[in-house]
Amino acid sequence: MRSWQRYAICIVLGVVVGAAFAVYQVRSGIADGTITNGAWTTGKSFGTTDADALTRARVAIGGLLALPAKEAMYFTANVDDDGEPLNGRCTYIVSGGKLDGRWWSVTMYEGAGWLVKNAANRWSIPAHATTHHDDGTWSFTVSPDEQPGAWLPTGGVEAFDLTLRLYHPEPGMLAAPGKALLPTIQQQGCA
Amino acid sequence: MRRWLLPLLAAAITAWGAYQAALLLTPFALMRVAMSKADGLLAVNSFSFGEMATADNQSVVRPSPDLSYSGCVFDVSKGPVLLDITPVPDHYWSISIFDARTDVAAVRSDRDSGGKPARLALLKAGQQAPQGYEPVMLRYDQGVALMRILLANPGEYAAIDAIRRQSTCRQVDAFK
Repeated sequence: MRSWQRYAICIVLGVVVGAAFAVYQVRSGIADGTITNGAWTTGKSFGTTDADALTRARVAIGGLLALPAKEAMYFTANVDDDGEPLNGRCTYIVSGGKLDGRWWSVTMYEGAGWLVKNAANRWSIPAHATTHHDDGTWSFTVSPDEQPGAWLPTGGVEAFDLTLRLYHPEPGMLAAPGKALLPTIQQQGCA
Repeated sequence: MRRWLLPLLAAAITAWGAYQAALLLTPFALMRVAMSKADGLLAVNSFSFGEMATADNQSVVRPSPDLSYSGCVFDVSKGPVLLDITPVPDHYWSISIFDARTDVAAVRSDRDSGGKPARLALLKAGQQAPQGYEPVMLRYDQGVALMRILLANPGEYAAIDAIRRQSTCRQVDAFK
């Protein structure tokens, strides 16, 4: 084999391996600065020049036009409190207390980040639409079947994730999102 | 085997370069796709007032069904672009400026404006903001200005839609 052929093979291989590794990292959710809190993950540099190249690419693919944390924080969960992947054939209770921000909602997505088709045409639960309890907590049910109280339908999809949007987070939340009290996601059973 | 050492070193260097290039170019490419979609709906430097996001109406990933979105694909290469945002009383609203790399150059909300209109001038180096406009310097000529308005319930849509259509995005002759 001639010298130029060896170089050509190796350079093509290098391009393929390098690009494939970038795609793998972006799609696998590996990035510097990821903050985990229970079932939820977030980042502090979304939409800013502080973001590293990997974080910027991940946000561009998974949440293009995301706002910086000072304006809105985005927490995503694709597992429940036991670490099991969220499944559209299962029922979950999402519950929590006061969230330190001006307004919040929880939205369900499937695949790359698309709203889930369902008969109720309901894709999110804003704070005011949850079921409020006497002790100051709130909850709603995520389930393929209609539920009493606040219900977020799964449409029976195989897998989904939940995004908690928190607009105008308070300073404590901004400073330490990993220590904030975020909603719990508890599985109740599967069909 | 020794004849492969230098080619393998070249492969390693190329892989590192391809990895970096893929990460760096991804935001530009996806922003270009988003801008081309919006551009197909309306002219550049003009607001496009989208319908509420539903499972059957999703132009970008992870839309919020609780927010009304209005976008302006801007290009300041031929002059500043002025944004005049009409406030929506007693509602969260914001205008955010995303450059071609997806970085946010500025965000102004009802909290920042105190309920008054937001008036922003999108500029590149060498351009100046007209009087009464807050300057926003951009590192790239093109990008997207996105207006978000929070609806308390879907029944508000008609009223909110009428208000948001008073907001404008327009290019003016270069102010030197």
